[in-house]
Amino acid sequence: MNKVITINLEGTAYQLEEGGYDALRAYLETATARLQGNPDRDEILSDIERAIAEKFRALLGSYKTVVVTKEVAAVLAEMGTIEADSAEAGGAGGAGAPSSASGHGTAGEEQAAWRGGTPRRLYRIHEGAMIAGVCNGIAAYTNVDPTLVRIGFVLLTFFGGTGLLFYLVMAFVVPEARSPEEKTAASGAPSTAQEFIRRAKQGYYEAMKDFPDRKARREWKRRFRREMRGWRASFDREMRANADQWRHNWHSYWAEHAPVHPGMVFALPLLSVLHGVATVLWICAVISLLATGTVFGLAPAANVPVWVAALLLFMAYGILTWPLKAARRACYRGFGRPMWAWSFVFLLDAVVWLAIVAALLWLAVHYSPELREAVRSIPSLAHQAADDIRTWWKGM
Amino acid sequence: MSVNEKFSAIRKGLLEFLLLQIIAAEKVYVADILKQLSATEFATQEGTLYPLLSKMRREGLLDYEWKESEAGPPRKYYELTVKGREQLRETLEYWGKINGTVKKLGQK
Repeated sequence: MNKVITINLEGTAYQLEEGGYDALRAYLETATARLQGNPDRDEILSDIERAIAEKFRALLGSYKTVVVTKEVAAVLAEMGTIEADSAEAGGAGGAGAPSSASGHGTAGEEQAAWRGGTPRRLYRIHEGAMIAGVCNGIAAYTNVDPTLVRIGFVLLTFFGGTGLLFYLVMAFVVPEARSPEEKTAASGAPSTAQEFIRRAKQGYYEAMKDFPDRKARREWKRRFRREMRGWRASFDREMRANADQWRHNWHSYWAEHAPVHPGMVFALPLLSVLHGVATVLWICAVISLLATGTVFGLAPAANVPVWVAALLLFMAYGILTWPLKAARRACYRGFGRPMWAWSFVFLLDAVVWLAIVAALLWLAVHYSPELREAVRSIPSLAHQAADDIRTWWKGM
Repeated sequence: MSVNEKFSAIRKGLLEFLLLQIIAAEKVYVADILKQLSATEFATQEGTLYPLLSKMRREGLLDYEWKESEAGPPRKYYELTVKGREQLRETLEYWGKINGTVKKLGQK
């Protein structure tokens, strides 16, 4: 662990390790002393500082924010000593210099590479977030509209709550972008939306400058806000109209196509049982995965972390039980139009379903010592999984 | 004393001449100059170059303009003044003469 010192080189802050800071200060002090009496002393010093700053910048990326002592020493060696008398200045390095001088070329290339492929990291982004900024972060990471990501999560939530669980996990595991560097890393390059907002703001302020007179400026501001309001209102209206239309279509579709069949009355409990069994199987699979690393004896590929496998199980479960659920819903319709009857059946079915799941689980835990062991070990496993995820995340 | 060491003083003296030649070709900044020199016997470092460039500017041989770089602080791009070009022409002429003398002397 080393202490870090922040310095200002030509208007940009750099963080140096303490040893590096000392070396740099000594270098600049020597340079100042040697240039004593030179009429351009200040200018040369600022040239030197700028050159050093540029070299430092080439060394840094969005993860690497500190210049270590060794790097400072290398940069200073590359700079070479300041020639006292400029009239006698020349190839002081002579034959020794080529390697260090050509070193600058590679530094420049590194810099170009760094600029070209800005490293991206997944962060939660709080600005413009709905809940914890998970969707926002994913959107920035994948360069997709945040609304689409949110819709994706909502859809996933319908699949047995996968989206919700996934969201909760991400909200706890994914770090929040706090510093500007992290915010840049979150989106790699400025995303189009951010860029748009920035430009819009800039345009706004640019336009403001054109109104030197206060009254005109206020008037313009008012108009800008009114326009924004109007735009928002019309957008809301349109969205609501769309939603209404959609709902209407959906209802009329069901009114026409709902399978009203007496057989459904018998099908419903059967479907409920099936669904319950599927749920229990799934829970057992997850527990088995967490406890033994295998799903009923089937091991996932070695390089797949356990929690990823668990998530995949979750998704598989959601997708597999989707038709079951849809069928059950369809059955509710079979009980006729009155709303109260529908709700009653729904409630009853839910109770039946829960009872089945509870009973099966109880049986499973009671009669399978393995499973009982596994259930007991869940808390410690959860801890371990969280730790794994955390270390995996840091290692990325 | 090796040839390399013997010529060290001459190389130092010639550096200014080479800078005039490099800057005459195009507007350059210090890293460009270092790069061009790095492959030659005249490889040098910023610590040498900046004082020399500022001395040449003080003598009115060259001037610079600031240009934004895509990354990092703005850079000084150097270019020759009329006086600088004149000096380069004179130096080239003189260099030609010296060269001729070196070749001619001692030949019968």
